[in-house]
Order: sequence, then C-alpha cells, then structure tokens
Amino acid sequence: MHKGHYISGTAHLALLGWMAFGDVFAAEPLPFQATDVSVISSAQFDALMAAQQAPQSVTEVAQPAAPEAVVDTPQPPVPDTETELVQPDPAVTPEAETPPDVSQITPLPPPADVSDQAPVLDQPSADIAVLVPEVADTPVPQAAERVAPEAVQPPDPEALPDPVEQEAVAPDAQGETLQEPSDATAPEAAATEIVTEAEQPARAPDTSLRPPARRPEAPVQTAAAAPQVPATDDAVDAAVEEAVAAAQTPAPVPQGPPLTGGEKDALRVAVSSCWNVGSLSTDALATTVVVQVSMMPDGKPVNGSIRMASSSGGSDAAARQAFEAARRAIIRCGSRGFDLPPEKYGQWQEIEMTFNPERMRIK
Amino acid sequence: MRFQTAIGIAALVLYVLGAGWAQAQSSGPLRIEITEGVIEPLPFALPVFEAETGDAGSYAGQISQVIAADLTGTGLFREIAPSAFISGVSSFAAPIQFADWKAINAQALVTGAVSVQGNRLNVKFRLYDVFSGAEMGSGLQFTGTTDGWRRMAHKVADAVYSRITGEGGYFDSRVVYVSETGAKDSRQKRLAIMDYDGANVQYLTDSSSIVLAPRFSPDGQRVLYTSYETGFPRIYVLDVGSVQRRVLESQEGTMSFAPRFAPDGRTIVYSLSQGGNTDIYAMNINGGGVTRLTSAPSIETAPSFSPDGSQIVFESDRSGSQQLYVMPARGGEARRISFGPGRYGTPVWSPRGDLVAFTKQNAGRFHIGVMRLDGSEERLLTASFLDEGPTWAPNGRVIMFTRETQGAQGRSTLYSVDITGRNLRPVRTPEGGSDPSWSPLQP
Amino acid sequence: MKLTTKTVLLVAGLALAACTNPNSFGAGGAGGAGGVGGAVVPGSANDPTSTAYFNQTVGDRVLFAVDQSVVSDEGRVVLEGQAQWLLANTDFTAVIEGHADEQGTREYNVALGARRANAVKEYLVSRGVADNRLQTVSFGKERPIEICSSEACYAKNRRAVTVLAGGLSG
Repeated sequence: MHKGHYISGTAHLALLGWMAFGDVFAAEPLPFQATDVSVISSAQFDALMAAQQAPQSVTEVAQPAAPEAVVDTPQPPVPDTETELVQPDPAVTPEAETPPDVSQITPLPPPADVSDQAPVLDQPSADIAVLVPEVADTPVPQAAERVAPEAVQPPDPEALPDPVEQEAVAPDAQGETLQEPSDATAPEAAATEIVTEAEQPARAPDTSLRPPARRPEAPVQTAAAAPQVPATDDAVDAAVEEAVAAAQTPAPVPQGPPLTGGEKDALRVAVSSCWNVGSLSTDALATTVVVQVSMMPDGKPVNGSIRMASSSGGSDAAARQAFEAARRAIIRCGSRGFDLPPEKYGQWQEIEMTFNPERMRIK
Repeated sequence: MRFQTAIGIAALVLYVLGAGWAQAQSSGPLRIEITEGVIEPLPFALPVFEAETGDAGSYAGQISQVIAADLTGTGLFREIAPSAFISGVSSFAAPIQFADWKAINAQALVTGAVSVQGNRLNVKFRLYDVFSGAEMGSGLQFTGTTDGWRRMAHKVADAVYSRITGEGGYFDSRVVYVSETGAKDSRQKRLAIMDYDGANVQYLTDSSSIVLAPRFSPDGQRVLYTSYETGFPRIYVLDVGSVQRRVLESQEGTMSFAPRFAPDGRTIVYSLSQGGNTDIYAMNINGGGVTRLTSAPSIETAPSFSPDGSQIVFESDRSGSQQLYVMPARGGEARRISFGPGRYGTPVWSPRGDLVAFTKQNAGRFHIGVMRLDGSEERLLTASFLDEGPTWAPNGRVIMFTRETQGAQGRSTLYSVDITGRNLRPVRTPEGGSDPSWSPLQP
Repeated sequence: MKLTTKTVLLVAGLALAACTNPNSFGAGGAGGAGGVGGAVVPGSANDPTSTAYFNQTVGDRVLFAVDQSVVSDEGRVVLEGQAQWLLANTDFTAVIEGHADEQGTREYNVALGARRANAVKEYLVSRGVADNRLQTVSFGKERPIEICSSEACYAKNRRAVTVLAGGLSG
C-alpha cells in the first residue's frame, strides 16, 4: 500500500539531497591568485631620485640612480584574515536558514512621504523645451573622434593629422636647399560637438533628450575682460563712440597700431586649433586659466616664458592640468610662428591668453 | 527691450573690437580669450620598455602593450605607432631627444624599464611632456611578483593617466559580473570576476541557479548578489578571496534582491517583496538590525548610497511610472529627481558624488544616462534596444553597463562609455556578460 | 554539468515523475507515464486530479497587460478553474511564478513579477484556497518562454504560472 510512497519519498530525498549537495561539490571555482604588488610612494622615489633630477633638456640629462636601492617591501594587497592563495574549499552550502524572526523587522521610522511634485514648477522647465527635437532644422552633427570649433571633412587618409596643413615634401636631389622629407599633414576630421550614441540622427527625435545647454553663467571675469558696459543707452553710445574712436585714432604707442580684430582672431583661431581639452578631467574643464607668454619677433613663443598668471573655478591640481594643456597649445601651434604683423611687434611682445573651457564642457 | 538691444550692441562692439580696444587704453600685454578648442585624443609615444635583465624581455613587451592599451582604451589618448618613431629610447637612462618626438607630434612620452629577479618583477617609468621638454611628475617604480605583471602595468597606466588628465586612475580595478550562456529561454548564469579590461576571468559560482546583479563591497573583497539557489530570490554575500558564500537571513515567504553595500561596508540596502509589494530595507550584513526604509504600495527598488552614506537614490513607480528619488539613508521623505519623458531606473550614485547614472526607457528604446542630483543636466550617453544596469569606474569618469541585443538570438554584452558620451566600446568577455559592478581601485 | 550527471538527473526525474504525487519538476506535463504504485491514479490529462489535467485543461497560467498586475476577465476564468481544482485536490500545494517581458530593468521586473504572482495568489485565496498552500516567487525577465523581441512573444511572457507541487501528505 505505502510501498510506493516509501520508494517515492526515498527517491525524492535522494534527489533533493543530490541537488542540494552534489552539484555544489561539483562546482569548481578557480583558485584565486592574490597579486603581490608594492608601490613606493612618490615621496620615497623623489628622495631616491633627488640626486638626479629628471632631464630638463637633452643636454642636462642625469643618469637615474640605481633603482635597486629602492625599498622593496611588497605588501600583500589582500588583507584577508585567511592566508592568501589558499585553494578555496569547495563552496559550502548555505547555512541552514535561521528561522525568520518577524520581530526583526522594526516598525517604520517616519513614513516616507511622497513628493512627486517637481521642485520648481513655476519655472518653465528647460528640459521640456529641449524635447522639441532640434532635429528638424538643425543639421545633426556627424560623429567624429575629434571635436573642433569647425567641422572638418575627413582628410586625405595619407595625411598625418596636424592642425597645420603642410604639403608633402619629397627629397629633391637636385635642389640646392635640403629640405627634410616630411609627410603631408592635414587637419583631422572633426565634429563640432560630441555626438553620443543617444543623439544619432536616426534616433534624435524620439529618444534623444539633449541636455539643456547650461545657461552660461556670468562670464568669468578675467584680467582680459573688457571694461564693463553700463546698461544704459547713453553709456552704450559713449562706449561705442569711444571704442570707434580708439580704433580709428592711431595709437600713441611707438610699436605700431593695435592689432585689428582680424589679426587677433587669427591668433585666437591658431591657438584654438591646438588647444586640446579632450584629455582634461571634468574638474580641469571647469577651470579657466590665464596664461602669459613672451613672444619673439618671428612670432614664435618663448617656451620658457609661458607661465600661469591666475586660475579660477577649479582646484590647484585642475589648474595645473588646464595650464599644461594651454601650454601645449601655445608651443605646438606656435612652433612655426604665429601669423602676427611684425610691424606691430610691440603690441604683441607680451600676450596674455585666457583659456576658458566653459563652452567646451558642454559640447 | 531697449535694454536688451543695448546689451546686444555692446556685445557686438566688444566682439568686433575685441580686447584691442582695451589694449589701446593701456600698454599691457595683448590679451585674447580662447573659448574654443578641440577635443581629440592626446597622441602619446610609448617605446617598448627596456628589459634590464635578460629574462625581462617578454614582460617588458607585454607590460608596454597593456599600458598602451589602457591609455588608448580611455578614448582620451592615441598611441603613435612605433613605426613612426624617429629615434628610439635606447635605455631608460638615456637623454630624451625631444625634437624627434615633437616631429611626430607625440605630446606625451612614456619611457620605462623592467627587470626580473627570481619571481620578483620591477617596473619603473617616466612621463614627459614632449612640447615642454619637461618631465611630468617624477619617475615611479613598482615591485611585485611576476604573475602580477598585469596589475603593475595597470598601475603605471593609472599614474600616467592621472598625471595627464588630473582624474584618478581606474585601470587597476576589477569587475564582477554575470557570465551568460545559452538562449534567452534557457540562459545559464554564473558569477564571474575579471580585470577591468576583461583579462583574468574567473568564475565564482556555478550556473546551477540564476544569479543576478552582483555588487562589490567598498573594499572590493566581498560581493553581494541575488541567487535563486533556494528556488526563491535571496541575497548572498561571497568572499572574493575564499569563494565562500553565505545567505543572508530573510523572512519566509518573502523575496529579497537588489542589494548594495553602504560605504561603511557593514550596512546593506536591498529590496524585499512581501505580499506583492516591494519596499527598501536596510540591515547589518552580520545579521540583525533590519530596518524598513520605505513603505508605499508601489515598487521601491534599486537603492544606491551616496558616497558619504547619508542619502539613498532609488527607483519607485509611486507616481505611476518608474522614476528616481532621493531619500535620507535612514528613510524619510523622498524627493523626486527625474522629470523627463519615459521611465528611469537602476540609479547609481557616482563615486565623486556629483552625478547619478541610470537606465532610461523611452519610446521603445533604452538609454544609459547621467544627471545631477537635482535632476538637472540630464544627458543620455547611449541608445539601443536594451541597455541597462550602469556601474561607475572608481574615478567616476567611465560607466560600464549591459547591452542586450534583440530577438531570439539576443545576447548580452558588457559595454563601457565615457561620461561625456564618447568612446562607447564593448568589454570583451569569454561568454556573454551582464550586470557589471566595478570595484574600487585596488590597493 | 557533466553528461553523466545530466543522465542521472534525467533518470531520476523520470522515475519520480511516475510516482503518486508528481513533483514540481513534472509541471511541464511529464506526469503521463502511467502509474507504478499499486493504488495510485494514472496521471494522464484525462484524469481530472492530475497535474497534467490542471496544466492543460484548467490552465496553469494567466497573462497580463504591459506593466500591469491586474487579473483580466479571461484570467479570472482560468483562476476560477484553478481555485475549484485546488479545493478539490487538497493534497497539492502550488508555487505561483510571476514573470515579466524583457522590456524593463532587471530589478523592477522582479518586483513586477512579484506583484503578478501575488495578484493570482490573492484571487485564489479569495476563492477559498488556503493561504498556506500557496507560495509566490518572481523570476522577473529571467525565464521567458518565448524569445522573440516583439509583442507577440512579450504577451506570453507577461504571465503568472501556477506550478503544482507535491501534496501535503507527501
């Protein structure tokens, strides 16, 4: 009568037991290898290297000291209480469930109030406005690895990327002057803004919520900021007259007249094309740096003269990164000399450049 | 109106005349303001590290490759092919011919040397700003065992990355995730752990039961996850070193899932379903102290702590659809932060504390996005048939997530993307992958 | 899993499925292999007390609309049948599995499946089935039965399935 039940029960138990334990033992977690890496602090290393500072130039290279002197005390990174590198035991079955203790679910603290209201309702939401797809009338930028002020078509694949276009120079045996052979260069293809996948053309209308452009806050006041314009018509008129007069009147400066807007724009664009903020931290991208540089009459910067006059908006570390990017921009694009009018050398002998990445941050 | 016109005129005048106007007034330096730049990978050169001992050659080559791959993989750097090099670096100690590196437009130069003694490996490096002709920071060296060579390469790359960008590094880190095989209706899942770049995959559980959403402890030594081992979803904690696991206590007839550690490493928050209602609870991982944090008839799940442990961001459909909310860590009034169209889920607080990453569903597609804690500056980084489950790199600059493809052949893959939305790329794993959780930087 | 262990599992499963009280593995309808024990009933679909009958004739599942956990009118008919069957076959307990389609995040879908399972449980309890005979579990989107990525499949995946388990008397 109950024979079937007994058989069934036994088989069930066996199967369940096998499932509970058998398979667990079959699990074969791989052994872990704790890696043993020690790091010496940069202070230690500095101390060791103090005697032989990093080479500043080709001629001043010091030989690194014997690194063997470095304290070699590896610290096991795994602070396990158990010894490292133990072969793991077969995974244990979970401990028997402790009987649920309802009393452990303590009564509620203050009931979580629900507030579904938008925090600011009186303000027309910028979010919603942006939802109206920009797609309809705005050309959708093509994605490119590079983002630059102006879109650049994909270049000749032969050309090395370089902001300064150059003709390829082939060695010419007959030529009197020897020119070093060099590859042609061309500006790299660029989009005008970062195109995320969510903003791909096909998707833009239905899926892309392009974040509202951060309303630019009050322009960062820098040493270069033009005098503040009083917001009255009279004052504006006065300012216009004054400005026009200033532009027309020959400056009493002996080194030539002030640079024209076009000349200054050319310089601005030249530096911009080498100012790469792509590898800056988000913090550095929020940092404006004012950089001063002395120029040589041929339009080349005096590299050693590049210095940070001030910074605003970020930590010291961020300012340093931002300054280094600015310095690279000046040196790289200035290496062939900026296109500046020699007759006005006095006007640009000293240049103060404010690098404000605000607009790059929201690209 | 007149006021705006006046401003417009003033701006125009200033624009046309520029600072030259100011220049004429004083005999100071020429002043210009640069507000437009380029965003492009910074070209670097990394000559193969010098092998200082006879048997260090293969390590030197492999370490150099891993460093270059780390840097290139960020999308912030571009490696210049060694074939373009004009001069090599004959030895770590030799002077740098900056002109040769400038000529190929290398903006950063990494040199290094590797030596092996027994099973001890020593790696040292220097980083140069080529156009300034100066070293960035001072040289560093790492020592360790030879089988830790990858970690040492990652540490070098972290230092280089950090010095150039100013961000903390993230290469010497690991990712725990769910490794997947099989079709959608018979998918096998098991926990796996790997280096952030997909190397050194090891499995932590077998695939006998469904496992979901592993989450690292703040020290990277333990993993919380959900398993159906008992037939019901329950939360387990697994020690990564020993692979020992235990189930956390739970009440009969309930389901617990979506666990995550608090920054203290002892408290966890999770979801508990009882009677069809899902709310958020907290408990001590060593047992006891269960506290209910939300109490609403709606679904409250996917809680994630702020880095300071004072607040929790979570998702709830109390408004009628999934949206994101922030509440104090002990529970209490919740503030809604997501207001765009569509549904928002799986919020994760960034390690820097300034952003929340989330999954968004809208108009039939899924996105990974980020927003500030007040809901502003929402930015969608990806779009696909199904993206979900973001996790932050230790430096808060990169996000890894799950992407599942459509249809009967659909398959899950891990992807990473920069928080600017650039550099979307798959993370190679031996099988399918889902539910990644990024560890902190390793010590 | 090795082949041998698979074989063992298969054999064991088949053997057990033939026993008096089909266990939970038999939910798919393997229970028709004919009785072995003396006084046991044959578990065929024609046998109104069998799991197979429950699954096929009564109907073991109800479907839900997108994002919903409200039992539809059609669903109520099925659940009415389930309740009658469970009241008549008191040896059985059941685990109600809630499922969601893939159009949702993982955690939310677990919670949504829990809602669906609970909706079914509450209905059955309201029809007199003892609360302690019913358990609920949610699989979220982890166990779809249809794998295409279109509404035709999604509709079948948004479901709650009443899976019978061994009777109380064992």
